[in-house]
Amino acid sequence: MGRDVETLEALPPMGAAFAKALVPSRAGVARIPAHAVRVDGVVQDLDRLADYARVCGYTLRDTVPATWIHVLTFPLHVALLGDRRSSVRLVGAVHATNTMTLHRPVRATERLSLEVHVENLRPHARGALIDLVGRAEVGGETVWDGASTYLASGMEVPGHPATATDREQWEPAQPIARWRLPAHLGRDYRRVSQDPNLIHTSRIAARAFGFARPIIHGMWTHARALAAVEGRIPATYRAEAAFLKPILLPGTVGLAVSPNDEGLRLAVTTKDGAKPHVLLGVHPAR
Amino acid sequence: MSHTVVVAGGNRIPFAKAGGPYARASNHDMLTAAIDGLVARAGLAGERIGEVAGGAVLKHPGDFNLTREAVLSSALAPETPACDLQQACATGLETTMYLANKIALGQLTSGIAAGVDSTSDAPISVSDPLRRILLKASRARSAQERIAAFAKLRPAHLAPQAPSVAEPRTGLSMGEHQALTTLRWDIDRAAQDELAAASHHRLAAAWDRGFFDDLVTPYLGVTRDAVLRPDTSVERLAALRPAFGGPDGTMTAGNSTPLSDGAAAVLLASEEWAAEHHLTPWAKVVDAEVAAVDHPGGADLLLAPVGATGRLLARQGLTVDDIDLFEIHEAFASTVLATLKAWQDPEYCASLGLDGPIGACPPEKLNVTGSSLAAGHPFAATGARIVPTLAKLLHERGPGTRGLISVCAAGGQGVVAILEAV
Repeated sequence: MGRDVETLEALPPMGAAFAKALVPSRAGVARIPAHAVRVDGVVQDLDRLADYARVCGYTLRDTVPATWIHVLTFPLHVALLGDRRSSVRLVGAVHATNTMTLHRPVRATERLSLEVHVENLRPHARGALIDLVGRAEVGGETVWDGASTYLASGMEVPGHPATATDREQWEPAQPIARWRLPAHLGRDYRRVSQDPNLIHTSRIAARAFGFARPIIHGMWTHARALAAVEGRIPATYRAEAAFLKPILLPGTVGLAVSPNDEGLRLAVTTKDGAKPHVLLGVHPAR
Repeated sequence: MSHTVVVAGGNRIPFAKAGGPYARASNHDMLTAAIDGLVARAGLAGERIGEVAGGAVLKHPGDFNLTREAVLSSALAPETPACDLQQACATGLETTMYLANKIALGQLTSGIAAGVDSTSDAPISVSDPLRRILLKASRARSAQERIAAFAKLRPAHLAPQAPSVAEPRTGLSMGEHQALTTLRWDIDRAAQDELAAASHHRLAAAWDRGFFDDLVTPYLGVTRDAVLRPDTSVERLAALRPAFGGPDGTMTAGNSTPLSDGAAAVLLASEEWAAEHHLTPWAKVVDAEVAAVDHPGGADLLLAPVGATGRLLARQGLTVDDIDLFEIHEAFASTVLATLKAWQDPEYCASLGLDGPIGACPPEKLNVTGSSLAAGHPFAATGARIVPTLAKLLHERGPGTRGLISVCAAGGQGVVAILEAV
């Protein structure tokens, strides 16, 4: 690809990098770093994995969920968006969609090389869209990849937004499960994800971004939905999530599940199934 | 009983000491891992199995449907039914017999028998007075009633209650009971240490020859039984201080099983089902018997299997000479040694109503790939560890060879079963 790769000694610790990524940018024009960041020899912390599994509802297995690898790459997202070459900051960026593929089962004991870069800066009606693209390798083999699309509200990018996406028509669904999300869930997920974004834990911060109460992290909802059907997920799979409407904490939501030709379709909805919060598709990796 | 029931496979995760590598894993996690490993090896992903029966001795109240929940987390078809059974340390053998009987009757053609226990993630409960106060408060219809309920709370009520290993009727722990048996049957220290050392050496040798390659699936980075000490010796074991029976006791941490974490599963099927699924039947389930003794009345707590063994052999028209391999669960080395002595004791056997002594077990036929002292003993999993191990050993020796399993259990109970290679 010809992209410069900055190899870090270890995953960036909580602290400076996070702080920088959280400081709102004054820039109006969206700029993204052209380089990739990479860390080799990442040891998965089994205690944290066990904790993550509990918080998200997964069974603790010898192989890890795809969403866990996403969580492991998160410090690299932060490093990229905290870089001085980035005017897009993590704070205020809205996670719009996530796609990830587990190419082969990954053991909890495997050491991973993680690499993330930003690409595809493009205009959107409400700001700028960027893709954070991650890859996990074991011994040179890509075992997982994922892309998170963020919307940087209010930022400018030259050009015209693509015409409204062909978002599928939402038909109200009958939920087959009800999740009661406690107020402390935001803190529980912060502990296991190490994502310090205050919007998930602080009412004041949530208000500052226009939410009445803290909102649960979209990747928790994603993980919880996969966990709900974990026995039916193939050994290698692709999961696509669209984050449509934040879930306020505490709160109660529903889960609708419907099999389709490709695999499973999951919808995390309002309690009555009238409106979707998160839509997910899971199918075997090709 | 018209259908032949075969053991067509087995799987467990390596066992580990309490507080070790599985400290963060729950019974649900480990049971799912054991089942999924079996499903993967036998090619049963997405398959609807007749029934899965599992259990745990130390169980959280939220795990009332432990086995069914594990099935739903596993790769088995979600339409696979399950039930929880529990018979202390004999659980894994009792779940095996429960399913074997159903298959024999034609109610099922396939089943997975399992057991799991975590002493690391043991349930902690609240004291009885606190529980009563909480229940009363939850039924209260007014704030006043609720306050009145909580007003009865005393600091002493707040102490958490760990599960006890003591027998409810005697207040003695299993080790203390076994210490009485050890004295009564005059089992010396050297014999216990020799048996313990042999268990470790035989289990290590079985691992080394790859015997467990199709019986165990690694879990959370553990690839071999973490309790196993291949380099232990009679000399090293002799240096340990007594753990039970007072300063002159002969039972130590080395010749008693440690508290363990682990899970095991057995695939049972009719011969036809096994053939349709291209699975090699290792052995058929011949018969089994469960028994109990009057331990509050002074009987040896862990010798209930002796009576069951005598009756079972008699019912099948067999003697110990017809048995090629013996698997006697090593709760303690002295349990095995006392059991063997009891088998040969005419008076004891007569007191059980048997026609004479059961007979002697040649040491070379006993626990040939080690047992619980070396592997560990996650209570409910042990029976489901032994069944496939013995079935595979018999299969290696050829059709017609027979094996006997004897598992003692808390409450003065025990289960004995006979397998025969097919």
